[in-house]
Amino acid sequence: MSEVVLEATGLVKTYGDLNAVDNLDLQVFKGEVYSMLGPNGAGKTTTVEILEGLRNPTSGTAKVFGLDVMKDYDKVRSKVGVLPQTFEPWDRLRPPEAIEYWASLFGRKMTKRDIHALLEKVDLAHKDKVWGERLSGGEKRRLGIAMALVGDPELIFLDEPTTGLDPQARKGLWGIIHALGDAGKTVFLTTHYLEEAENLADRVSIMNKGKIVVSGSPEELVNLYGGGTHVILRGAGEPGMASLEKLGYKSTIHDRDVTVHVPSLMRTKDFMVQINQTGIGYKDFETRRPSLEDVFFNMVGGRMEEGVLK
Amino acid sequence: MSRMFADFKAFGRAYLRSRTGFFFALIFPVILILVFGAIFSQTGTQKINLPVQDLDNSYWSQTYLRFINQTGAFTVQMISSDIDFDQYIKDELLVLAMQIPPGFGTNVSNRLNSTGPPAMIILKGDPTNSYFAIGQGAANAVASQLAFYGNHVNDVAVVQPQTIGEPQYTFIDFFVPGMIAFTALTTPLFSMSTICSEYRNRGFFKLLGSTPLKKSEWLAAKILWYIVLMLASIVIMYAVGIAAFSAHFTITPMAILLVIVGVFLFTSLGMFLGVFVNNPESAAALANAIGFPMMFLSGIFFQLDSMPEYLQYIAKALPLTYLAEGLRATMSLGNDVVAATDLVILLVSGIILFIVAARAMSWKGK
Repeated sequence: MSEVVLEATGLVKTYGDLNAVDNLDLQVFKGEVYSMLGPNGAGKTTTVEILEGLRNPTSGTAKVFGLDVMKDYDKVRSKVGVLPQTFEPWDRLRPPEAIEYWASLFGRKMTKRDIHALLEKVDLAHKDKVWGERLSGGEKRRLGIAMALVGDPELIFLDEPTTGLDPQARKGLWGIIHALGDAGKTVFLTTHYLEEAENLADRVSIMNKGKIVVSGSPEELVNLYGGGTHVILRGAGEPGMASLEKLGYKSTIHDRDVTVHVPSLMRTKDFMVQINQTGIGYKDFETRRPSLEDVFFNMVGGRMEEGVLK
Repeated sequence: MSRMFADFKAFGRAYLRSRTGFFFALIFPVILILVFGAIFSQTGTQKINLPVQDLDNSYWSQTYLRFINQTGAFTVQMISSDIDFDQYIKDELLVLAMQIPPGFGTNVSNRLNSTGPPAMIILKGDPTNSYFAIGQGAANAVASQLAFYGNHVNDVAVVQPQTIGEPQYTFIDFFVPGMIAFTALTTPLFSMSTICSEYRNRGFFKLLGSTPLKKSEWLAAKILWYIVLMLASIVIMYAVGIAAFSAHFTITPMAILLVIVGVFLFTSLGMFLGVFVNNPESAAALANAIGFPMMFLSGIFFQLDSMPEYLQYIAKALPLTYLAEGLRATMSLGNDVVAATDLVILLVSGIILFIVAARAMSWKGK
């Protein structure tokens, strides 16, 4: 098992009668991209801000690099980079100036070449003469990520880094986050975009109403909670449907194409071997694997649209 | 320390790129000096407190003072005869005071009988201050009135004007120190209250909270920035005062200390206000609500003793009063004793406000 970088035990945050974070336990391991996925109001940002040392929990403990975030965060602050959900750059600082400023706060001397290289990394080097207030939404977030990286942190918190961005800007940020993962950084990513968690995360926790509903790698979650795979047997017709029923599979037919549901716990390959052995005739087949969206629907009981639970 | 300077540099750079901040810190005070300087150097007002030391205490000195009272232009306040008149003026930062020398009554009596020199009345103050001009006119008129007690006698009593400090002192020498105090209030107070609110609203505090920068370092960087800005502002105001109005005030070490402590105090006050408001607009409104009355009640534009008594009590409770008074004392009157007292009052108030503001302010979310 890898080294635990981040750990929360029995974390609770209440506001009056509302349990924003409700007895939450989690562990994040060194070098993984961990994603906390959930709708708006699920408690993701409250949790991440507690873990960043920017908000005190009502009860429970949170540790970063083995140190209590409420007591000893100062000792590990330089190993942690943060991009808050509401990140905005300083209006009248240019990207290189903002980087230089942030690096100084982390006690790091950066040459102009270092700064340029970092801005290149986030595809912002061409905007080095533009004030922060004149950057686009995606450029601002990229600058935020660059600022979070100035101290060469081991752990990086990215709180909804792509919210509100257009698809192209979002994909651009995904590339940066992938690169962080490839570089062995530990990334704690919160998001309400299912495809983002599925695409970027090594492990995902689905959070709803202050609780973690389920955790695991996207593949595990899909296999365990996605509800199984749909296999479409082209041209199998009524005979195929009857044969499947004899094998214990329920199916539906549309234009002689038979769709059968293969349960989560069964591998699709084994199913195909089984039906081939029975001699069911079909012209072709295709599979439709479930996604994290199906997992979310099955576990939370609703679908998310732009962070809103429907 | 390096983190504090990093924050200082970034903040200063962004601040100077804000036209509003640049205007209010460096240009606005100059405009006020030019406008108010032009207006008040030429005109006067009518309400005058007149401290009087009667060293003669004779029938004629009391008669003279009775006439002075009857003009309705003065509120006469008697100064004890055993007090050093010049020192009293200096200590109380008076712009106008009267002394009736010993022998006044004898000289009046002699003069009414057409013998001896005219009796002398000393009117001391700032000859370019509007009060002084009014005071001198009224004192001369009353002195002329004594001639009616004699027959065909002129010049029974004459008013001898004397200046406080250097004779070339002008209105601007009194006004510019007040303007320096005014700027030391407005720039940090309005700016800091807005900045604190804006930083919280836009998540800058949380962002800074994620760095090794300490809250105290951030606060110190802001205070240092406003001190540097104010020192630049003083140099500009000094240059304008000299170039436009031939001013003669001096920038003393005590004045620098007062400005530093004043900026410290008003920056802390701005932080304190910024803690309690949710958006920059409310912060600006609250700073205006506190700052503007303070400007007008602290003797920047109007003499304190021209205000109703209850307002003078309020003025005494306002820190800007002490900053303006201290700066005038050291820069225009060379009175560092009064300035030092004001400095201590400002420093104690500043430390209290700083502690309260620093404790009330949090970078963490609730």
